Amino acid sequence: MNLNLKADKAHTFDAIVVGSGMTGGMAAKELTERGLQVLMIERGREVKHIEDYDTAMKGPWEFDHRGKVSIQSAEEYWANSRFGSLANEETAEFFTDDKKNPYIEKRPFDWIRAYHTGGKSMHWGRQSYRMNKKDFEANAKEGIAIDWPIRYEDLETWYAHVEKFVGISGQAEGWEVLPDGHYLPAMPMSAPEVYFRDTMMKKLNRPVTVGRVANLTRPQPWHTELGRASCQYRSKCSRGCPYGGYYSSLSGSIPAARKTQKLTVLHDTIATEIIYDENTKKAKGVRVINQNTMAVEEFFSKIVFLNAGSMNTAALLLNSKSSRFPTGLGNDSDQVGRNIMDHHLGVGANATVDGFENDYIFGQRPNALYIPRFRNWGTDKKDFLRGYGYQGGASKSDWKRGITMNGFGASFKEDMTRPGTWTMGFGGFGEILPDPSNRMFLDKDKKDKWGIPMIVFDAAFGENELAMRKDMMASAMEMLDAAGFKNVSGFNRTDTHPGLGIHDMGTARMGKDPKTSILNKFNQIHDCKNVFVTDGAAMVSSSCVNPSITYMAMTARSANHAVEELKKQNL
Amino acid sequence: MNRRDVLKSVALMLGGTFSAPTLLAMDHWQNPVSGSSAADFVVTDNQKLIIAEVAELIIPKTGTPGAKDAGVPAFIVMMLKDCYKTPEHVSFLEGIRNLEKKDFLSLTVSQKTEMLKQVENDTVEQMKAYQVQQTKMGDNEDREQMAAQVKGLPYWRLMKELTMLGYFTSEEGLKSSFDYVPIPGKLEMIKLKPNQKSFAY
Repeated sequence: MNLNLKADKAHTFDAIVVGSGMTGGMAAKELTERGLQVLMIERGREVKHIEDYDTAMKGPWEFDHRGKVSIQSAEEYWANSRFGSLANEETAEFFTDDKKNPYIEKRPFDWIRAYHTGGKSMHWGRQSYRMNKKDFEANAKEGIAIDWPIRYEDLETWYAHVEKFVGISGQAEGWEVLPDGHYLPAMPMSAPEVYFRDTMMKKLNRPVTVGRVANLTRPQPWHTELGRASCQYRSKCSRGCPYGGYYSSLSGSIPAARKTQKLTVLHDTIATEIIYDENTKKAKGVRVINQNTMAVEEFFSKIVFLNAGSMNTAALLLNSKSSRFPTGLGNDSDQVGRNIMDHHLGVGANATVDGFENDYIFGQRPNALYIPRFRNWGTDKKDFLRGYGYQGGASKSDWKRGITMNGFGASFKEDMTRPGTWTMGFGGFGEILPDPSNRMFLDKDKKDKWGIPMIVFDAAFGENELAMRKDMMASAMEMLDAAGFKNVSGFNRTDTHPGLGIHDMGTARMGKDPKTSILNKFNQIHDCKNVFVTDGAAMVSSSCVNPSITYMAMTARSANHAVEELKKQNL
Repeated sequence: MNRRDVLKSVALMLGGTFSAPTLLAMDHWQNPVSGSSAADFVVTDNQKLIIAEVAELIIPKTGTPGAKDAGVPAFIVMMLKDCYKTPEHVSFLEGIRNLEKKDFLSLTVSQKTEMLKQVENDTVEQMKAYQVQQTKMGDNEDREQMAAQVKGLPYWRLMKELTMLGYFTSEEGLKSSFDYVPIPGKLEMIKLKPNQKSFAY
């Protein structure tokens, strides 16, 4: 083993951040802006903003398989392929080859990863909703799992802080279920969508708004300073945006951190272990292995932020064994790796829309409508707990309608060059309850090619989720029907598993009691306070809203606390 | 007994700890699934002529390029090789052979058109049967194994989808059919003008 144990200056920083994705980027930004020298460790290859977006400006004909996934790619990206066409030539480079990075499924788990600079922030859905007050209270009120150690008010200013930096387009509505944030101008709704929104309020008293999305509709000075420009409405975000129109670590937090000249980034560097010092009872650094050269090195710091993505963060904790923590760092409670949550999806309804023949859209909206949770809210009461939100909208059909129609020849060809009728549909994102038996752990024997124990998944949807899914389909059909739309058809995919929402979370939860949780209210490991976990692993419940903005708000709050504590010499 | 069967019997001994999807997953990381059956998909020169002729009848050359101009026939063969498995290879070749048997290439244009209309009408029923089969498969744990045995998408559906995809996403087809706007720069709700073409992005 090529072990470099020099604790020299080049290997010593104020803080180490493991991961460069949504929360790693934010941690690096917040810590460097507060004066800390930060080392960011990314396990995957380097992607440079703009210059490495190889597919961004290509025309449809420049992709051999025109958006379809080849058999070879489907085999290399076998987990990604459960989602759909992620492994096509447009976007595959920002997902991870599952064949080269295998994992084990005791029960099926759809694990979608992004091993490169920016992680999943490169291709996130960009939907950005605050959790509401009741989301933070629900566990305690219903006796589910454990209580959150924080409330909405603890995150409120930090939501605002990150929303301004990220740049979220949206409409403030004043609804308790979907707290308003700081928004750039909202994107417009199409004519059938305006009709749908008004009809839902009138007939079912259900609010509908346009999605709150991390695309710049009106860049602010702090966005343009980082080289970001307005959204161009191409809706090709997941190829990487050369305009910086949507937010990613690459377009936002990493450039901001680099501006401080206090950021060092290592790529191809896999964190294998957090080094615990039995004398100081703190972490003193991180052991890493280079994914290409296999060289092992150690880096040292006063504090460590874990932002490797919920599953890899938990794996890193479990693999960091010491006399004090024989089952993994911070795992006194045996809860590390448990309580996996996500949002369950693949259920909703579609319909055709009569009328609005002369309405059309110029540009592609990288966004949809949002229907906030209405189940078990206010006076509504169902036989399952929690609820779901819907995302979807109207679209005018294009040439693809011809595939399932009868007809061919000259007039058919001519007809296909013109827009067709409108269709409308949406799918739900449902809250998943925390359950300690939904878990991941490290295999005792099998290791990956870097000698790191392989991750085993053992999780499934519970009765609450399955009951909710029936209602998600029925309510979607009910709403499309109430709008007077035709050919309403519901769908409820039965071949989805936890993970497919790509919102995997909960594997190192916060809590008030060290006996039942890993992290305190500032995301510090209870008995190793200089280690902070601020990615999705920290979540105590999942709400039903897209989680990234919450993770980022938690990260900024936690980074602020870390620096204050360092100043007080408490860490 | 092949390796998969060995794994299955081990699973039974362990009290069925591992479900079929797990075994599939084990396949994935221990010995990734073998390649596609692309090598088995062979199209004769005569069959290539039929593919080109049918593609051109679906999207003929008019005031704008046709399927042949846009390179669609070669695209169809490449796509079937690269993106489809045995069931579709079988159903596609079956459809082509049926046309071969009826001496398709020697027919007049109107006879060819009539024949394809008949194929299209027959496909409606075939699609219904196909969808019933897909629904039955659902979350069946041996899904991948079943998928190898079932009937693929009907010939006409494959032919039409790949012709349209190949044509309307080709540079010639796309630019001559639509109003190509790679960088819209703005988002506006508008009213259609008479005879307005679709935007393509």
